Amino acid sequence: MREITVTHVVVITLTATFVLLGLDRAGELRPNRPAYVPPAAKSATVAAPEHDPDKGKPPPHNDKPEDLPDGKGRDVTFYTCTACHGVALIKAQGLTRELWDSTFDLMLEKHRMPPVPAAERGEILDYLAATFPPRRRGRGDDNPFK
Amino acid sequence: MASRRNVLKGVGMATIGASLPISGVLAQNAPAAAPAAKAPKLLEMEGKAKLAVLGDRPLVAETQAALMDDDVTPTAKLFVRNNGQVPEATRDPKAWKIKVDGEVNTPLEITLGDLMSRFPNVTYQLVLECGGNGRSFFEPEARGNQWTNGGAGCPQWTGVRLADVLKAAGLKSSAVFTGHYGADPTLAGETDKPTISRGMPIKKAMDEHTLIAFKLNGQDLPLIHGAPVRLIVPGWAGSLSTKWLTRIWVRDKEHDGPGMGGFSYRTPRKPIVPGSKGDEKDMAILESMPVRSVITFPADGTKLAAGTKKLDLRGNAWAGDWDIKTVDISIDAGKTWRSAKVNPPANKFAWQRFTASIDLPSSGYYEVWSRATDSNGVTQPFLATNWNPQGYGANPISRIRVLVES
Repeated sequence: MREITVTHVVVITLTATFVLLGLDRAGELRPNRPAYVPPAAKSATVAAPEHDPDKGKPPPHNDKPEDLPDGKGRDVTFYTCTACHGVALIKAQGLTRELWDSTFDLMLEKHRMPPVPAAERGEILDYLAATFPPRRRGRGDDNPFK
Repeated sequence: MASRRNVLKGVGMATIGASLPISGVLAQNAPAAAPAAKAPKLLEMEGKAKLAVLGDRPLVAETQAALMDDDVTPTAKLFVRNNGQVPEATRDPKAWKIKVDGEVNTPLEITLGDLMSRFPNVTYQLVLECGGNGRSFFEPEARGNQWTNGGAGCPQWTGVRLADVLKAAGLKSSAVFTGHYGADPTLAGETDKPTISRGMPIKKAMDEHTLIAFKLNGQDLPLIHGAPVRLIVPGWAGSLSTKWLTRIWVRDKEHDGPGMGGFSYRTPRKPIVPGSKGDEKDMAILESMPVRSVITFPADGTKLAAGTKKLDLRGNAWAGDWDIKTVDISIDAGKTWRSAKVNPPANKFAWQRFTASIDLPSSGYYEVWSRATDSNGVTQPFLATNWNPQGYGANPISRIRVLVES
């Protein structure tokens, strides 16, 4: 009869450990357990539907200064205009400085924009006129009365 | 319909939201990279189709021409135009109060529930159209949301006649105008000041199709379309059709709320040089919207299979207070025209469907133009005309572009 060495004991022990661990991971050694149900989901199906005053509102929308093209005056333009409306509206415009200027008046007079210091207004108008000038030229481009 | 669709090899959805100024054909020097030529951002909102977003704050979204291909506009496809923030949804719609005061013998404060039971309920199919519809066709640009033709829809509205309510309140002889108020907070978030408050002459208010509406296509109004109750003033600028209606102030003079006066919802009495500042004194209130047609099938940018000899197209046409008399189609920039078949409206102020079968003599590129003429004989111009700083009244001939493959 061959001698049982320390090596034999170690190999048998390790093998048995791996086999048991494998069976355990495969779920063979544990009884079936019910699936986890979060308590919140359970109670929500019972309670009466809450009135949600925000249901049906459009998704929230936030712009950042980088949504406007880079240029001198971009940030002051961004923070002045987007206090009320999004940048998409600004970017859709193509106006001369004169019409940007009257747009500024429109915002102040009709849309209750808070007063803006003259220097800031100049900087904003410079930015808008340079960044969003008229782009649709068409047959009016060489209008003799402009 | 399926067989007609079979001839289409592909539908260029990406291009349909692009603005289609007729002058793009006529002008030789249109900029290559105009922002309007980019594919639009599409709306992602529960209950709404993927409309083209013109602005996110406030939300403004238009119905691309190919999505307007319905007899009755489904709620999901109806355009969205907000001026301020959307107010909170009311917990108890029937308890919502509407005030009618000013030049009346008996001022009313009536709940929506009482309004619904006290006055006859009527249902009509009515065009709702943004006052700035077509603005993107102006050259140079006019100020505001750059609508193509998609700021319009023709769903079914159910409500009571504003006329019945005004009669119940008893109009004084001094009553000449209305002023409308809604519950939408301003963009800055104020709730004590109107976001917009427009009004109309009493004659329009008393039209039997002017409604205080609480249902859209047979369902309660969605919040985004003015729940629980709104005005519908068909044929005139949509800004009169106040959403989240709280008050109708009967005035003894032209209303002067925000959205009246200046260049707002006004067109020039005498033509001004395009792109110039203009003079407020020369402006008059925009009343009836102008005649307009939209080809809704096929979509702009459609490729047609080689050998296609006929194009069966269809669309919608409408003209504010008036009916459509004719719609004509051209594939040669107006050298020759063919009449489309025009259906009668479901009722006054409903849009009218037109269909035409057009011969395509060869393979190649075609611009298909549609030109509607109203019952006064007024027709769509080749170019947006009567330019004004805030861009009202642009209704040029509309077009789609198709390619018959070789």
